[in-house]
Amino acid sequence: MVELLFEDIFILTRLDPDGKKFDKVSRIEAQSEQFDMYMQLDVNTEIYPLHVGDKFAMVLAPTLSLDGTPDTGYFMQGGRRSLADKFEYVMHGKLYKVSAEASAEPNVKVEIYASFGGLLMMLKGDPSNAAHLEMDQRLFLLIRKV
Amino acid sequence: MARREEKLRCTKEPYIEDVGPRRIKSIRFSTLSGEEIKKLAEVQVWNNRIYGADLRPVQNGLLDPRMGAANKAGICATCHGNFTECPGHFGYLKLTLPVFNVGFFNSILNILKCICKACGRILLAENDRKMYLKKMRNPKADISMKNALMKKIRDRCKISVCPWCGSKNGVVKKARASLAIAHDFSRSVDGSIEEVRTALSHIKAKSSFQVVHILSPVTVLSLFKRMPEEDCELLNISDRPEKFIVTSIAVPPVSVRPSVFVDAGKSSNEDSITSILKNIINTNSILREDLEGAAPPFKCLDCWAHLQIQVVEYVNSEAPSVPDSKHRGLVQRLKGKQGRFRGNLSGKRVEFTGRTVISPDPNLKITEVAIPVLMAKKLTYPERVSAHNIEKLRQRICNGPDKYPGANFILLPDGTRQHLRYVDKKTAASELKYGFTVERHLEDGDVVLFNRQPSLHRMSIMCHRARIMPWRTLRFNESVCNPYNADFDGDEMNLHVPQTEEARTEALMLMGVQNNLCTPKNGEILVASTQDFLTSSFLITRKDTFYDRASFSLMCSYMGDAMESVDLPTPAIIKPIELWTGKQLFSVLVRPNARTRVFLNLMVKEKIYTKSETMCPSDGFVYFRNSELICGQIGKTTLGNGNKDGLFSVLLRDYNSHAAASCMNRLAKLSARWIGNHGFSIGIDDVQPGEHLNQEKKRKIDDGYKECHDLISSYSKGELTLQPGCNAAQTLELKITGVLNEIRATAGNVCMKELHWRNSPLIMSQCGSKGSPINISQMVACVGQQSVGGRRAPNGFIDRTLPHFPINSKTPAAKGFVANSFYTGLTATEFFFHTMGGREGLVDTAVKTAETGYMSRRLMKGLEDLSLYYDQTVRNASGGVVQFLYGDDGMDPAKMEGRNGIPLNLDQLFMKIMATCPPRGSDMLSPMEVSEILKDRLEKYKSPEGGFSEFFKDLLTKFVDNRVNLFKETRKALKLDENHVARKDSSVLENVAANISGITSRQLQVFLDTCISRYQSKKVEAGASIGAIGAQSIGEPGTQMTLKTFHFAGVASMNVTLGVPRIKEIINASKNISTPIITATLQRDDNVVVAKIVRSSMEKTVLGEVSKSFKIVLMSSRPYISIKLDMDLIKSLHIDVSAESVRHSILNHPKLKLKPEHIHTICNDKLKISPPDADRKKLQFELHTLKGMLPKVIVKGIPTVQRVVINEKQGKFQLLVEGTNLLAVMGTEGIDGTKTKSNHIMEVQHTLGIEAARRCIINEIDETMKGHGMSIDIRHMMLLADLMTYKGEVLGITRFGISKMKESVLMLASFEKTAEHLFNASYSGRDDQIEGVSECIIMGIPMQLGTGILKVRQRVEKLPELKYEPDPIIS
Repeated sequence: MVELLFEDIFILTRLDPDGKKFDKVSRIEAQSEQFDMYMQLDVNTEIYPLHVGDKFAMVLAPTLSLDGTPDTGYFMQGGRRSLADKFEYVMHGKLYKVSAEASAEPNVKVEIYASFGGLLMMLKGDPSNAAHLEMDQRLFLLIRKV
Repeated sequence: MARREEKLRCTKEPYIEDVGPRRIKSIRFSTLSGEEIKKLAEVQVWNNRIYGADLRPVQNGLLDPRMGAANKAGICATCHGNFTECPGHFGYLKLTLPVFNVGFFNSILNILKCICKACGRILLAENDRKMYLKKMRNPKADISMKNALMKKIRDRCKISVCPWCGSKNGVVKKARASLAIAHDFSRSVDGSIEEVRTALSHIKAKSSFQVVHILSPVTVLSLFKRMPEEDCELLNISDRPEKFIVTSIAVPPVSVRPSVFVDAGKSSNEDSITSILKNIINTNSILREDLEGAAPPFKCLDCWAHLQIQVVEYVNSEAPSVPDSKHRGLVQRLKGKQGRFRGNLSGKRVEFTGRTVISPDPNLKITEVAIPVLMAKKLTYPERVSAHNIEKLRQRICNGPDKYPGANFILLPDGTRQHLRYVDKKTAASELKYGFTVERHLEDGDVVLFNRQPSLHRMSIMCHRARIMPWRTLRFNESVCNPYNADFDGDEMNLHVPQTEEARTEALMLMGVQNNLCTPKNGEILVASTQDFLTSSFLITRKDTFYDRASFSLMCSYMGDAMESVDLPTPAIIKPIELWTGKQLFSVLVRPNARTRVFLNLMVKEKIYTKSETMCPSDGFVYFRNSELICGQIGKTTLGNGNKDGLFSVLLRDYNSHAAASCMNRLAKLSARWIGNHGFSIGIDDVQPGEHLNQEKKRKIDDGYKECHDLISSYSKGELTLQPGCNAAQTLELKITGVLNEIRATAGNVCMKELHWRNSPLIMSQCGSKGSPINISQMVACVGQQSVGGRRAPNGFIDRTLPHFPINSKTPAAKGFVANSFYTGLTATEFFFHTMGGREGLVDTAVKTAETGYMSRRLMKGLEDLSLYYDQTVRNASGGVVQFLYGDDGMDPAKMEGRNGIPLNLDQLFMKIMATCPPRGSDMLSPMEVSEILKDRLEKYKSPEGGFSEFFKDLLTKFVDNRVNLFKETRKALKLDENHVARKDSSVLENVAANISGITSRQLQVFLDTCISRYQSKKVEAGASIGAIGAQSIGEPGTQMTLKTFHFAGVASMNVTLGVPRIKEIINASKNISTPIITATLQRDDNVVVAKIVRSSMEKTVLGEVSKSFKIVLMSSRPYISIKLDMDLIKSLHIDVSAESVRHSILNHPKLKLKPEHIHTICNDKLKISPPDADRKKLQFELHTLKGMLPKVIVKGIPTVQRVVINEKQGKFQLLVEGTNLLAVMGTEGIDGTKTKSNHIMEVQHTLGIEAARRCIINEIDETMKGHGMSIDIRHMMLLADLMTYKGEVLGITRFGISKMKESVLMLASFEKTAEHLFNASYSGRDDQIEGVSECIIMGIPMQLGTGILKVRQRVEKLPELKYEPDPIIS
């Protein structure tokens, strides 16, 4: 069974916090229910429209294969069964930065950055949630509206 | 030339010793006497006829065939060579009477000043003579010392009585008649003249006695002949002085003064030299006849003077004594741009060259140039036949000269040359043997040099590989436009084909495009993407460009020529449909497949960057991680030129030029093909403003106009609060300009915000491919204020700019504010103002090209021979040390990665190491360990060679310390032990901390290793001609500077000259600069009152400014002037002036010749001045002149100081002193002399010495360049400053300075004042070493720098030791 790196349900709080800059891509802000994570994510809204108040499940996985075999990076032919089947929107990318939030709060928060071919994700929350994440790790981001 | 007639005929060839290759080591300049000329000549020329009746040159005429072959048909009568073989022979022309040589005229005059006009000996007493002779013979004395000594001797020789023969000597000077020497006794006459006059009074009643003699050439000649050798030596004459007087003229060979037949051989057109000589022959024969025929003396003298003038014309037809000559004399042949030195010796015409129009071709590699077939057929390369190419060359020969891959000539080993048009190609091909050389047509891959004028820097001529293509233009990749500064609006470029393998290799290695991607000016990349490439990259990498599998694969195939394999990445969006982003395409572009081992790591902020690094909402932060584009929309900062941490620079530094070049090739292909399909154009709708913008603009302009109006009205009421150092009018101008600029800026901002992102001009300005926000807002919103000479439009009519406006109007519209945009159209007056601004720009460019061109030439001449030797010293051609270590660290400016000439960009390097060496489970180092490893490492490389410079060592330590602190802080934030690091997998937090900023020992080691090895590879190579590079690096930016710019030195109204005029001032080492400013630091810099007190003690205060009244008091007894001082004002100005001090100042005034008894202080603020005793008649005038002069008496301050302005910078006060006299400013109480600077180099030299002057030169050039936003490596400026100061005094790069820096006559002659230098050299018999660059080029010898620094030395067997005693009998 595939070991998921992160799994939670988010509520979309804001769309395009700095104004709409791109036609097809929107930056969403979302807050998770379970781990109280804050997330910014660029989503191609042309093919997967999202609106404020939408509730969706988000999963970060190292591979799409159900048995947990690592991702080869090569294209696989054919409609093999995969993790993606249960989700509506799947992106592939890379974790490129981990940093500690610069604040004087007692509970320091960790920021995790990933890029899905230029569509960025920033996940902020408690360090314990970043336990399985490594720098330069390949990631699949899977979203399903609930 | 071998004389065929006299050649000894032997049965065997005589043995000629093979002396091996010879090299000209030095040239000696000297003069020829009449006898020597006669000996050298083959023929005496006396016949004034040139051609006889049979149209053949007459014997002993000026074109006598014994002086060489006259044309291609002619044969030399002396050596029987033809036109190409015979170098020509001299003839001679005997003058009846001697005449002066104009070139030496001043020298003759100077010699005559020093010798007795009766006995010819030097006018020095014996012991003086001996002393000076000893000094003159000092072997250490160089030319400048000898010249100075000569001057001193000349000053000493002003004795009126000869110490040797006791005869009287007068003053020798140029007679009023242009070329005659007068001997004037009038100064040295004593009573004897009166005696003579009385004795002769009976002869003529009104006789004026001659005290001035004319020294004729004959007398001078006889005097010179009498001069002893030692006296000549004293005057630094190497040879006999009589040679300075012409007795015979050497007639140059016919070949240098060709005679051309015109009108089908009926008459001939003679060269200037021939015609002058013909005139001389005529005059000469007339003179001889006159002398022999005993013509009246005045007629003979006239004739002689005529001869003199003609001989002058022969030497120098522009000499003042020659009345408007139509001929070109010998000097004219040598001097000037087209003269022999600059036109034929320093630069020569070459073969194997081509030139046509250029055009772009993005499908070519950056290293290639497309050459038209037509050109390729004419340009050939001589290829030696060998086993490898014989078949290819046979094929070429068969094709012949007219079919493209063909050949033109075959060279046989015996030297014969067959043209393939005139031989049978088939047989020639079959008879081809190894060792032959075939001059074949240019083919793909051949090495060619490509150049565009003006060649301002070394990248203006680079080496490309040829690609033979159809059509008629030379084509190359647009990425290479930058170094050539080329565009395709009709530019033409030149092509040269190196003809030997050595030349090709050298060209490829040194001048190859791939080896010149960076400019040595500052290490920035120069060959980089431009224009459309940037636009398409910008559009491709937009966040919302997505491609499906088909289009993504298509675009991947655009990149190459279908020869490379491409690894398709996993799509960024897998579901609901597979989509790739444009950024992924860029990742493919950088690293197309896994076999390409290029891991690019880079972080750049683009123009559109706003905030929060990678998460920037407008996607302006470009981040590449291991060749994957993480984020950022790519624009000019990443891909363009003039940046040190762009994509191509990083590829070049981290990998090699090939990586950068191939990436550029891929990008060019992709961009050109992509944008061709995508389309990118501009139309009228792109510049149409929206409704909102129009309203906003109108509101802004109305507000601004109102504000200006208020300002003007308050100005006319006199209520304007003045700005420091400005008067009311200046303040008004400043404020209005500020308001108007604000209008345009805000209108521009609104306009930029309003435009749709698809707007083409907006895209272009955002990605940096063309245009700026100002250009767009001028088109859309508002053109803005037009300026002429940095001010608003000047008044062309009386008190107004145009008659449309009321007199003295200062409103925005009346002074050239253009409120319309180019889209709405300009009104007539606006258009007129716009043309005023436009014309200034045009005039500026026209003027500055000439100015900067000359500046570059001077810089080049000054620095051309400086090169780096193997011991890391910078020396000139004769081995004189200019710098002991180039740029204080011996680093190559072209290879510098960091800003301000720092060798490495540590941040970037560290990032790269961290990304490319993943920790892979190994543990992090604790902060302590990191510091220790660094220390160990630095310890190991302690020695100066192979080590770092101190500066860099500090930089590295600081950098690592920063990293350590960062790690510590992270751990602190995560509540981990700061100094002890546990295993990575021990806890979640430990892992997170490691991910954030941990360093493993492997990473640190790799980082330090890379630092060290890369630092070492950045040293300058021995032989580098850094002088020339430095000159180009300073000269080239000069062309980009606008001519007249001022900038404010902290305070408004304090202008400093900038731009080309300032650079000129600095490198000329001018004594008078236009804006001298001393920046003085105060001892107490936090108090404005102190600053004011110090200011008033320096500022020039005249009596008129501090006085209440000047009154003339007319009293019956004695009239006087009473002065009343304004004590309140004096107090408020904080100046220390009292009646007593005023009295002192008046007494010290140079022009008021008042004595202490004339001035009386009545009380502390009152003075009484009575005029000096004079006629009562003149008293009134006396009083009034006094009253006029007294207010101008300086009572306080430094007279040379014009103004002092207090400058406030972050609460600290500083004084800016406009004017000179650094010493007085430094000495003023309250000034910190050690922190006081001046921008006047010569003054700094006088006040603080040569080292301070050097520093000042460096700082000033740096500041000026920075003022124009140009960064130039400081090492170039150091080199220039060192060159200007290494002789111990500041020498300008002018003809005076350069002649003091360099010894070589040939070099100086090829610079300026050609004839003067040559005549002086032959006067003192200079021995000119051929070692510098100019000399070597003139003599056609490889020079001693660059690759020429290598010399082959042979190891010689140790010589047997000589014994100084017989062998022992028993050993």
